[in-house]
Amino acid sequence: MRTLVLVAALLAAGCTHVAPYERGYLARPAMALEESQGMAHAMEKIYPSKEAASGGAAVGGGGCGCN
Amino acid sequence: MRAIAFMALFAAGGAWALDAGAPLPALAAPSLDNPARQVSLASMRGDVVYVDFWASWCGPCRQSMPLLDGFQKRFGARGLRVIGVNKDVSAADAQRFLRSVPVGFTLVQDAGDALARAFDVKAMPSGYLADRHGVVRYVHRGFNAQSEAALEREITALLEEKP
Repeated sequence: MRTLVLVAALLAAGCTHVAPYERGYLARPAMALEESQGMAHAMEKIYPSKEAASGGAAVGGGGCGCN
Repeated sequence: MRAIAFMALFAAGGAWALDAGAPLPALAAPSLDNPARQVSLASMRGDVVYVDFWASWCGPCRQSMPLLDGFQKRFGARGLRVIGVNKDVSAADAQRFLRSVPVGFTLVQDAGDALARAFDVKAMPSGYLADRHGVVRYVHRGFNAQSEAALEREITALLEEKP
């Protein structure tokens, strides 16, 4: 049990708290999850209709991409 | 034992913050445009000091910096000293920002985070307004439309206080 706690503590030490003033690198465009906001929005709309799936990010259709 | 170890993992963050009533940390930092020149906060005792932490990647700083520049121009003669502490990763980023938002007040760099740690900056931008005795009286975390009016009120009140 004690070993488990020790391992958990060691793993947690790998996580670090990034202070608000240390976000210079994180604020770079390359660090964004999406390269382009507009493109991400378009993909989100097209993807469900291409996959013929409904729901998810938006209401899907039958694959025509018309809604 | 297990519970204590678990809680200790979260306690590492710390809850301490520099707030109103605390003395202004007596630190010095190199000037942004001339690193050989040290700017000392302790030497400003007798002036009303506003220490502002900013960076080029901080959105609201684009609004706050020109306003702080205006305050320095209007109240400088009456004893206001605005100090901008830059938190950019590279000085080039700061210089690029300053070309589009030029300011006339004192700017310092804080490469080792000594100032940011001493003030325990919780948000960007953060501003600390200290009176003529070097005591922090008002803290602004973040910057919005209301901040300007509040800051102007606080600065004029502190300037009128007799040392």
